[in-house]
Amino acid sequence: MSTTLLKTTGIAKRFGPVVALKSVDLEVAAGEVHAVLGANGAGKSTLVKILSGVFPPDRGTIAVNGEPISVRRPRDAMSAGLATVFQDPALVPDLTLDENFRLTRADLPSIRESLARFDLASLDLNTPVSEIPLETLRLIDLARALSLDPQVLLLDEITAALPADKAEHVFDVMRTQRERGRSVIFITHRLDEVIQLCDQATILRDGANVATLDPGAGGHDVLVEAMLGAVPERRETKRSTGNARSDGAIALKAEGLVSGDHVKGVDLELHAGEILGVAALEGQGQERLFELLAGDRRPHEGRILVDGSELRARSPYDAISKGVVLVPADRLRALLPNRSVRENLAATFYNRITSWLGTHRDEPQKVDGAIDRLDIDIRAQGRVRQLSGGNQQKVVIGRWLAAGFRTLLLFDPTRGIDIQTKQQIYKLLRELADDGAAILMYTSELPEIPQVCDRVLVMYDGQIVNEQDGPQATEQSMLSAAHGLQSAESDA
Amino acid sequence: MTPTRTVPIPAFLRRNAWDLGIWLLLVALVGYYTTLIPSFGDFQMASISKNSLPLVYLAIGQAIIVIAGGIDLSIGSQMVLSGAVAAQVMDERSFVATLILGMIIVLGGAVLNGIVGWVVNVSAVPDIVVTLATSFIWSGMALVVLPSPGGGTSPGFRELFTGSEFGTGTNYVNSMVMIVIPMVLFVYILRRRRVGLSVYAIGSDRNAAYLSGVDVRVAKIWSYAFGGAMAAMAGLATMAITGIGDPRASVGANATLKSVAAIVLGGVALTGGTGSIVGVVAAAIVLFFLNPILSAKGIDPNTAQVMEGSLIVIVMMIAGYSEHRRRRAT
Repeated sequence: MSTTLLKTTGIAKRFGPVVALKSVDLEVAAGEVHAVLGANGAGKSTLVKILSGVFPPDRGTIAVNGEPISVRRPRDAMSAGLATVFQDPALVPDLTLDENFRLTRADLPSIRESLARFDLASLDLNTPVSEIPLETLRLIDLARALSLDPQVLLLDEITAALPADKAEHVFDVMRTQRERGRSVIFITHRLDEVIQLCDQATILRDGANVATLDPGAGGHDVLVEAMLGAVPERRETKRSTGNARSDGAIALKAEGLVSGDHVKGVDLELHAGEILGVAALEGQGQERLFELLAGDRRPHEGRILVDGSELRARSPYDAISKGVVLVPADRLRALLPNRSVRENLAATFYNRITSWLGTHRDEPQKVDGAIDRLDIDIRAQGRVRQLSGGNQQKVVIGRWLAAGFRTLLLFDPTRGIDIQTKQQIYKLLRELADDGAAILMYTSELPEIPQVCDRVLVMYDGQIVNEQDGPQATEQSMLSAAHGLQSAESDA
Repeated sequence: MTPTRTVPIPAFLRRNAWDLGIWLLLVALVGYYTTLIPSFGDFQMASISKNSLPLVYLAIGQAIIVIAGGIDLSIGSQMVLSGAVAAQVMDERSFVATLILGMIIVLGGAVLNGIVGWVVNVSAVPDIVVTLATSFIWSGMALVVLPSPGGGTSPGFRELFTGSEFGTGTNYVNSMVMIVIPMVLFVYILRRRRVGLSVYAIGSDRNAAYLSGVDVRVAKIWSYAFGGAMAAMAGLATMAITGIGDPRASVGANATLKSVAAIVLGGVALTGGTGSIVGVVAAAIVLFFLNPILSAKGIDPNTAQVMEGSLIVIVMMIAGYSEHRRRRAT
């Protein structure tokens, strides 16, 4: 019906050994609202960043109106008619709004016009950005992007955590752009929005575009299936206990946890002897939740109970001394990367007062025990930094084995780990649970959950929106819930 | 919760509380000082305003670099170099000649330190390491140019900064004007011009600045160039006050530390992005002013130094703690 406005061919990008984009062909027509969808790690945000000039692609071409363009810096993208509203607004916190607009040579009358449309006409432009709530900032950033009168407007999860009335302003802008023959690239986790608003949807999977379809035609299921790809038959998993859930005492309990905009009222109960999974898309508050539980931060509201007594942690040390320990996402952050395996495993003893007087008496045995149990490859005696990712992760878990714990929190423990080590870690977690440990695990790899977890909680927008039985959970059921589609098959 | 309705005056007070506080502190200290000495008059006013000039200039320069997210440990050596060069080339020259030479030196300081900013960009070595290294270059060069204290300038050039052809007297107008001009100029540049706003932007959130189209590397170079220009001004002022150039490196090292102390006291966060030149100027005068006050109290210079250092530590702790609280709040 109309001409192609933006076309990318064979866009590829790698970061060191990680291939973020294999090859993406995207075609957006003039007057089209085009959704880009994909699961975590599919490459959506890399694609947006390339189109916005945050970094250049390794290969591939970008053309606007048939003209190939070179986008190496954000300014290049802007002058080519591509304006982006990022998830984190690109407004400088210590400057006022007015100063921000001046800095970017934005067209003030046009911004005022947009702000009036967003019911923000009375906003004082001399307010420092740091004093303005995030949801308002998103609209201000949108107003600034619109003032560039872009050919293509890229909206990267702009509606995430935006209340309905404000999201409506965004939708209104999208419709207007369409009427004016301009295009919008819309990235969101909310599939309802895609179905209602978008003319076309391109689905990314593993760094490549796998489908382009009309989202109105098929509904949720078609979109979710395209994102997941051919759903593999669920591997039968051998879980040693049939139903460990809810049998043990409550080891860790959270009541009404609130922390800023990240965690908005979370209740959970973790029993001794169970592995409880947490599934969520990126940025739904799971990081903050784990920080709270691990004592790295104190909640603004709500409380955390460990074995029935309240945890009022000033630092992770307080949580650790109550037996709650964290295996964080960034392994090297948790380790002493330039020290040996043995020293790393023993590091948790250093706090004990007896160790001030020399080596703790049973330290060597405990360390040896952990090395044996985890089957850590210690041929690389030198530095933990030189170990493989899988072995590093084992050291992180191993140090807690050596030190002893009752509740283990794991944040994405198998990210970037080979399949064999993964299996070893799963097996170990199950053994630990059988021995009475309580385990809470967030993973970005949904297929792990039915294999490993007894129960799974799905987080969305800072809240737990769904609970499913672990072995019964399917990627589809979890992904639907994780996209905020609460009504769809809430309990499998 | 909504920021849309703000009552102008309280918001203004709240946002500029630190600046106002530090100016009030300065006024209070002057009031206190008048009770310590037998008579307080034009001579004392002139002495304070004139002698605080070098630190005021250095602090403005350091503030701009720190606001941009860097720090310059060579700023005192640049001051020494500029003073040495000035004393060497200005000796026995006419007022007009010295004025032109002074402008060239300030421009040269800007260019040299702009190059340092460029080195920081391309090397990706932390500012603190690069400028520590360059500080040795500048202090070495100062000794090459002027091996021992000496040289001189025209009487008119001395009068420009000090209000007197001999560097001492009761005229405080000139030195006050020489404080106000750079202060107003840089408040204007930093808060009204794009280049100045980009300096704040890269210090506040480099990524957001980059994403909104700011050339973050150019902004960094500008911050160093402004800092270098002010360091050169400090060298000229020192030379105008004493009448000779002094190439000793210890003078520069001491001045660098005081410039950092002044900006912290003046409300500039060492993490970058915040603070104002207005507060920094008052803080630099306050910091200089501690010397005459403590000596009027009969405290010996060594003890005075301990007190000065302790004061700086306390201010940094308060600033650091409030920054920590602010970050935890979200």
